[in-house]
Amino acid sequence: MKYTTDYGYEVKPVYGPADVQGLDYARDLGDPGQFPYTRGYYPNGYRSRMWTRRMTAGLRSSKDANAVLKKYRAMGQTGGMCVIHDRPSSSCIDADHPRAHGENGVLGWPGSSLLEFEELMEDIPLTGQSITLLGCCAPSALRLAYVVALAEKRGEDLSQVHGSVTESPFSNVFGQTDVQPFDLNMKLFLDASEYIVRSRIRMRAGLVGQHFQESGGNNAQALAIELSMLKEICGRLVSERGLDFDDVMRLPYQLVSVGTRFFEEIAKVRALRRMWARMAREHFGAKSEKSCQLLIAVHTSGRTMTYQQPLNNIVRCAIQTLAGAVAGCTAIDNAALDNAYAEPSPLAARMSLNTQHIVAVESGVADVVDPLAGSFFVERLTNEVEEAAYRILEEIDALGGLVAAIEKDRIEAMMEEESSIKFREVRNGERLIVGVNHLAVPPEEEMFEIPVQESGAGDSEAIARRMAQWKRNRDLAPIKASLQRLHADARKGDRFNLMPAIIDAVKVYATAGEIVGVIRMARGLHYDPFGTIECPYGLG
Amino acid sequence: MAGKGMGIKVLVSMIGLDSHTTGAKVVSSLLRDAGFEVVYLGINQTPAMIVNAAIDEDVDVIGISCHASNFSLIEELLDLVKKRGLTDVPVVCGGNIPPKQIADLAANGVAKVFPPGTSGDAIIEYLAANARRAKAADGEQPARDQPGRVR
Repeated sequence: MKYTTDYGYEVKPVYGPADVQGLDYARDLGDPGQFPYTRGYYPNGYRSRMWTRRMTAGLRSSKDANAVLKKYRAMGQTGGMCVIHDRPSSSCIDADHPRAHGENGVLGWPGSSLLEFEELMEDIPLTGQSITLLGCCAPSALRLAYVVALAEKRGEDLSQVHGSVTESPFSNVFGQTDVQPFDLNMKLFLDASEYIVRSRIRMRAGLVGQHFQESGGNNAQALAIELSMLKEICGRLVSERGLDFDDVMRLPYQLVSVGTRFFEEIAKVRALRRMWARMAREHFGAKSEKSCQLLIAVHTSGRTMTYQQPLNNIVRCAIQTLAGAVAGCTAIDNAALDNAYAEPSPLAARMSLNTQHIVAVESGVADVVDPLAGSFFVERLTNEVEEAAYRILEEIDALGGLVAAIEKDRIEAMMEEESSIKFREVRNGERLIVGVNHLAVPPEEEMFEIPVQESGAGDSEAIARRMAQWKRNRDLAPIKASLQRLHADARKGDRFNLMPAIIDAVKVYATAGEIVGVIRMARGLHYDPFGTIECPYGLG
Repeated sequence: MAGKGMGIKVLVSMIGLDSHTTGAKVVSSLLRDAGFEVVYLGINQTPAMIVNAAIDEDVDVIGISCHASNFSLIEELLDLVKKRGLTDVPVVCGGNIPPKQIADLAANGVAKVFPPGTSGDAIIEYLAANARRAKAADGEQPARDQPGRVR
């Protein structure tokens, strides 16, 4: 066994006052609600507001996903809903695209038009709970348009809708790939962000550090990446879009991955709050205290969910949920015990949500704010992960920021090196994983066969046929007019905001493939990211 | 394990829109270290693109990495492999594949499924013994001199 943190610092058998020498309570920690917010933002912690307990949904048709959302509400998920796109709609191609064959409604929601969103949300309130839609950056602007359009149709006050439907372009450069180009994603994300800020909509934008860590990054690297994402995005909204920093900071939330190394995970989240507070004040000159308070949501770690002996994952999930709760966060969505198999089965979903409810109401951890503050070990870990992260952050800054570092392949290289270290440590037995390289049993000795959710592929062709048929029956004149306007707007340069034209197109039921296709054409790209279908409206 | 794969050419590919490439990349580098020649096709590959590449590159085994989905596309790939006469090129799969799908894939003609927990050595041993040219070397089947391109 190796006694080191996951970023390679030595872990000693015991910690004492000497390990936190120089720690200044007011300067480094502060009471909850006081700068630098290491201990959180609310003097009464979860007594003021319990974290949102949610599960990610999305499988098969929009109607099927709607039924699952209703079921989750019945399981006590009333604070907020969370839905993830399937792969075609994440890529901004439509269900009837040849490359969507066998993929529609697989591991996600086929959300490529307002029609699908209306079906997803049927009899589900748009207000009174947070609305979270995930799955790639490219559809972010469309998702925002769906919410704006549906609120208008239902006659609901848009200012009462809250949640997060946009995702930064960094979501899909780590470990997963996006078919839409990075510069287009960045442009659409900045457009959506600027629109949200200027219209004073209460929607947040996800800066997803989770993907980096789930693809192999360590805790210190993840912290550095998360802060450099914030620096890059906030910096661009201020310098390129002329927004005030304190307005911009109503926007981002960071989605952080929390794994099983209990104390390290807690230290990481505490360090993130402190590092952001300092960056907001020192780098961005924050005038409002709110701007120094980064909203943090937790996703418990999918990559720690093992294929072998999947019931063990319930225990891992509980440890991670406990860590997320102790660290202090605004929402948790859990990986499920069958994460290595499929989308959560009803049993796995209920177990995951119940894990959160048990931690929230039975364990007592929600009663006291930042209960581990002052622990020699946890304060030392918080200082160490911060120090290691600052070093990486300086390297990224020296390369010219996160976008430049990505272009120079430095982040990918960092992640791959780290994941090969992890792979080697597991292979050598330096890191033990029960059921994998420790106490493994042959498959025939597995004592319980978990139910496995079908992938949803069986419904793919039905979803595609419905899309094709529905496309033929739409009123084409307003679609064509709105796409012409969008095409013209998209030729007015990167800083010309496309949100108003996108919202108009979404309202008349133009699809994701059509909307993003037309924007692509205006940027000199082929209408179709795969180059297989042509624009049906003869724009050029 | 070094040298076990000498003279054997392996195609490694993702299928459909799945972009969880970590496993495919790890396996590719394991195989290269063991002496295999690896053609890594990357993401966004259709069954037809994979079969065309297998023919063009004259590979001895087709390896598909998948993340809990795209099983129907693998079945289409198997059909195409048969139609295009590549019956001597085994198709193997690896990734997060539930037990039921492992059985279904095997029934449909996937030669071997490597679920999570499979050791690198087990993959190397299997391919070294069962890839087309490995079998040919044992005198079971001749290797094609020319790639049999059928379009």
